Amino acid sequence: MKTILVIDDEQYLRELYEAELTQEGFNVLLAKDGFEGISLCEQNDPDLVIVDIRMPGMDGLETISRLLNINRKRPILIHSAYPNYQDNFMSWNADDFVVKSGDLTELKQKVRTFLSV
Amino acid sequence: MRMDTTQSTLLRNTLTLILAGGQGERLYPLTKDRSKPSVPFAGSFRIIDFTLSNCINSGLRHIFVLSQYKSQSLNRHIREGWSLLHRDLGEFIETVPPQHRTHSRWYEGTADAIYQNVYLLEQMRPERVLILSGDHIYRMNYGDMIDFHVRKNADVTISSFEYPRQDSSPFGVMQVNEDDQILDFVEKPADPPPIPGKPDRSLVNMGVYVFNTPTLVRAVIEDAKSANTKYDIGKNIIPRLIEQEKTRIFSYQFTQQDPHPYWRDVGSIHSYYQASMALLDGHAPINLFSDAWPFRTDSFSLPPSVFHVSSFKAGQIQESMVANGCVIEGELVRCIISPEVRVGEGSHLEGCIVFNRTRIGKNCKIQNTIIDKHVSIPDNTVIGYDAESDRKQFLVSDGQITVIPKNMEVV
Repeated sequence: MKTILVIDDEQYLRELYEAELTQEGFNVLLAKDGFEGISLCEQNDPDLVIVDIRMPGMDGLETISRLLNINRKRPILIHSAYPNYQDNFMSWNADDFVVKSGDLTELKQKVRTFLSV
Repeated sequence: MRMDTTQSTLLRNTLTLILAGGQGERLYPLTKDRSKPSVPFAGSFRIIDFTLSNCINSGLRHIFVLSQYKSQSLNRHIREGWSLLHRDLGEFIETVPPQHRTHSRWYEGTADAIYQNVYLLEQMRPERVLILSGDHIYRMNYGDMIDFHVRKNADVTISSFEYPRQDSSPFGVMQVNEDDQILDFVEKPADPPPIPGKPDRSLVNMGVYVFNTPTLVRAVIEDAKSANTKYDIGKNIIPRLIEQEKTRIFSYQFTQQDPHPYWRDVGSIHSYYQASMALLDGHAPINLFSDAWPFRTDSFSLPPSVFHVSSFKAGQIQESMVANGCVIEGELVRCIISPEVRVGEGSHLEGCIVFNRTRIGKNCKIQNTIIDKHVSIPDNTVIGYDAESDRKQFLVSDGQITVIPKNMEVV
């Protein structure tokens, strides 16, 4: 079973991700900020990471740099409500950028593509 | 320097990154305590002064020097010699060591050096990036190349040097069409592709690149994540961009601005020595005395050099360059002498390059030798006449050039 790590500061969103991705047959790990996400990543070596950008403390862009420091080949998807971050060069470190909405259809589609499932 | 407004705008929107991290192993022991760009050259200069002077003379004012190995000497040189721009005007020359932002390793190649500094590009948001090597000797107006890049609507432009085809194999060689668009790029080809219309000439890569910033950022990120990469712009980034076919890559021929262009990678003891000695020719390939294109360096307050000729025949200094603060009592023939060197009475130096503050005693005979800083050579020493004997104390290169390392007290 493929493992996905989700890093997002909004609790209701984490719950939504967990419910929907579990239903898709993935093992889901949840982190509320960049620090927790990096720690979980080091411990569990997930197959893919979904990261929010605007989070208190370490933001998503910094988190992505650190995640790449652990493993440059692991796919990282940005899921953010702020499309203007797509112009930020640091966001290009991620493999894809999905603009947040209440609907996770596009995100789940990208996850399946990156994990070839 | 006159510039039209358009070029001035182009230069303002260009960020220059000088890659100065090379270890310079083939220049050892000159690189024992310093990086290759900070090896002294031409008496008063260091190798990187040529690239930095080219930048300033071209009108570029936003310059980062990416340093790495043994960078203290380079950092000090930049700080003491090149703090001539003002941050208040948005202008700077700054050294950037590896920040370990993206990973806790050193720069693993030229592409990785850029990758680790993508955050700088995000902060500066330049329209384009000029990438230079800090260890080449040449005189080049980068403004003309940037003009060419914009005129061609290029994503990437690589400066190329026309070279005899049969001698081009050690370089990266590009194949171009009549419009200078690069069709293929091969590192160290056994059979270098010729220039259209010039079957015995090839275009070699000078390590001078202009990239549109988004193209560069995408390329270095992709490279960082790919398998089997050497993280090298020439070896990996350019061939991959050519393969992808959607990038417009052009060759800027250096001969466009100089019909007799000169460009040298002084990467080995032999090439360093040859490039140095070429400066002593009547028609030196690079003019250090031009008002229009001055080469500058750090300068200390030193007295003029003095030549004592009383105990010798006149004319004992032939075809030599001598920096300030030297006391020369012996003979110099085809020598390059850095500041504050002493050469004792009765000594004869021929084909020698002597770095700062070295002391050479009386009645020495030295030829074809590079002597690093702070070396002390006692009276009556003979060096450079018997390679076997020299090898007991010093490195003697394949080209039979003896090299005496920094701080050595010769016995």
